[in-house]
Amino acid sequence: MNKKITQLKQELSKAVIGQETMIEGLLVGLLCDGHILVEGVPGLAKTTTINAFSKALGLDFKRIQFTPDLLPSDIIGAQIYNPQDHSFSIKKGPLFTHLLLADEINRAPAKVQSALLEVMQERQVTIADETFKLESPFLVMATQNPIEQEGVYALPEAQLDRFMMKIVVQHNSEEEELEIMRKGASKSFAEVQKVLSIEELHTLQKGLEKIHIDKELEQYIVHLISATRDPAKFKLSSIAESIMFGASPRASIDLYKAAKAKAFLRGNDFVTPADIGYVVHDVLRHRIVLSYEARAKGVSTDEIISTIVETLPIP
Amino acid sequence: MKNSLGKLILVLLCSLWLHAEDFKYHFTLSNTSPYVKEAVIMTLDLNQSNRNKVLFFHFALKKNPDYEFHRITAKETGENIAARVHYEYLIYPLRSGEIQLHFDLIQKATTEANLVYSFSGDRDNVKGLTTVDTQIDLPPLTLKIKSLPKGTSLVGDFSLTHSLKTNKAKAYEPLPFQVTIKGSGYPPLLENLLPENINFTLFKENPIVNAVNSSQGTSSTVVYPMALSHSQSFELEPIVIKAFDPKTQKSYTLKVPKQHFNIRKVDVKSLVDKIDSPKPLESDLPWLSTILISLLSYLVVFAAGFLTAISLKWKKKRTAQTSHPLKKKIEACKDEKALLQLLMATDAKQFALSIEKLEKGLYGNAKINFNKVKQEVLEMLK
Repeated sequence: MNKKITQLKQELSKAVIGQETMIEGLLVGLLCDGHILVEGVPGLAKTTTINAFSKALGLDFKRIQFTPDLLPSDIIGAQIYNPQDHSFSIKKGPLFTHLLLADEINRAPAKVQSALLEVMQERQVTIADETFKLESPFLVMATQNPIEQEGVYALPEAQLDRFMMKIVVQHNSEEEELEIMRKGASKSFAEVQKVLSIEELHTLQKGLEKIHIDKELEQYIVHLISATRDPAKFKLSSIAESIMFGASPRASIDLYKAAKAKAFLRGNDFVTPADIGYVVHDVLRHRIVLSYEARAKGVSTDEIISTIVETLPIP
Repeated sequence: MKNSLGKLILVLLCSLWLHAEDFKYHFTLSNTSPYVKEAVIMTLDLNQSNRNKVLFFHFALKKNPDYEFHRITAKETGENIAARVHYEYLIYPLRSGEIQLHFDLIQKATTEANLVYSFSGDRDNVKGLTTVDTQIDLPPLTLKIKSLPKGTSLVGDFSLTHSLKTNKAKAYEPLPFQVTIKGSGYPPLLENLLPENINFTLFKENPIVNAVNSSQGTSSTVVYPMALSHSQSFELEPIVIKAFDPKTQKSYTLKVPKQHFNIRKVDVKSLVDKIDSPKPLESDLPWLSTILISLLSYLVVFAAGFLTAISLKWKKKRTAQTSHPLKKKIEACKDEKALLQLLMATDAKQFALSIEKLEKGLYGNAKINFNKVKQEVLEMLK
């Protein structure tokens, strides 16, 4: 099955140069049925990446540009009155897709962000009195721009918790940028071909269940999450004042699943502490709420996670 | 001034309530024949008589060079259809003879429905109040102003104090001197406090005025800060200010006694500049010295810039080599597990290759050279 993953990565590399972190994150999200929040400045191939994924997997893809005047009905759909036969019909919104790019999600007000809650958690949409199940896979890749502060609505904690991972996308290296520049100027990016069917993707997802994780590592994951809630218990008093709220139980589940997916992507049939290390920052960075003191001192959640990982002994 | 103006019995000018179309009004004056610059308290009460309208009033005294005025209060009581407004003004006549106080009064009439409509607005949807404005002609009030005794500078009950830290100084050294006039009455602001024809240099600032207007008049403290300077000893003639208290109708004087200042002469030789208007330095070859100075300046600036750039580059290189925050931690790792844990905590993706090796050593059966892996990681930091 790993051959398929290699093929998929090769196909994606035709359209996306570099950005391994984002691609790995999306693969983990696809395998675990989790949603991904991507933070990065504009122009880092976020749309191109998810578009390439949809083509390589033969999946539907839709993009919603979030704006302050967006309404919930603009994304989930609405009941429309037909004056000819005096009846109402359901007009489905752009949510009805496999891969959804919610671009600049923090530009929309809370009511629109909340409209995504049911979809992301239950994978179903309720329009008027009718509920529709969404086809599998359904993956939301939301982006937010970290630069601008004016006219943005910070995502509520409940919403953030629905995202399996938050990936911080960085600029490409100079070599990668050179390749992008040349290919972009000559329009020589190759067309992405379908290399994986939905059935094969489902098989890959089922393959995750076979990945073995040791009891000690399960305990290690639980300790990592508990340390965000009660640092003093794990001799981490130095960060206790920096944390207002620790990670939720969803974080334990997502870290467990993500570590398995990472082991799978690395071609292993068992999870090692390094697999957890590879995904722990992405899974936890948006789930830890910093205290006012920590924000004033400029402490980041990544620093807190690093301190926890550095302190808790690995099995 | 122990007797305050408020204790005076108000002289009622118009004891009768006068009638306009929709309201009654009533003026009072504390004094109709005051002295120049004596405080006069004027009140106006407006009481709505027509209960079919909602009334608002806009009242003000007209500006005039004959008098100066300050509004003390404007209290609105009563309900929408029974407005009651009480105004209180402090007036200072500025010239003797007969002067007239003129007024502006605008009656603003509206309905309760209009009022409700305007209240229904909010910050983002302001709904203006529609009113029918009528200019009301109020008859002017006349004051007969008595003139002050000749030479009077201040009107009211004031006291004067002065402060002088020292009366000894070196030549041209400024001597701080301060005069304070405090009391009740027309604010004691004087253009020329010191006697005319002074034979020293006077440095003066604008007076510092602290005045509070109330229905008892104006309580003020005026501070005149200044400094005196001279090359030799000098005298400040007595300061004499003639004041008049209208309450007692008596004149009095405020005095600063004659002051003598001892000035010590400075030895000219000890001064930095010993020659008055020295001639500019001249050179036999002025063009050569100019070129040499320019060249030297250029070389000095160039050398400073060059050395700074080199030192910054050297410092940056040295900092990068020695002070990477991870370096010490990596060097302190004693076994594979500790190093793996540290790399996981920092940036697992950057050290993927080293992590893989450590994993194989720890969880596989491969044999690895721990020190070599450690060195590889340290190399990556460079």
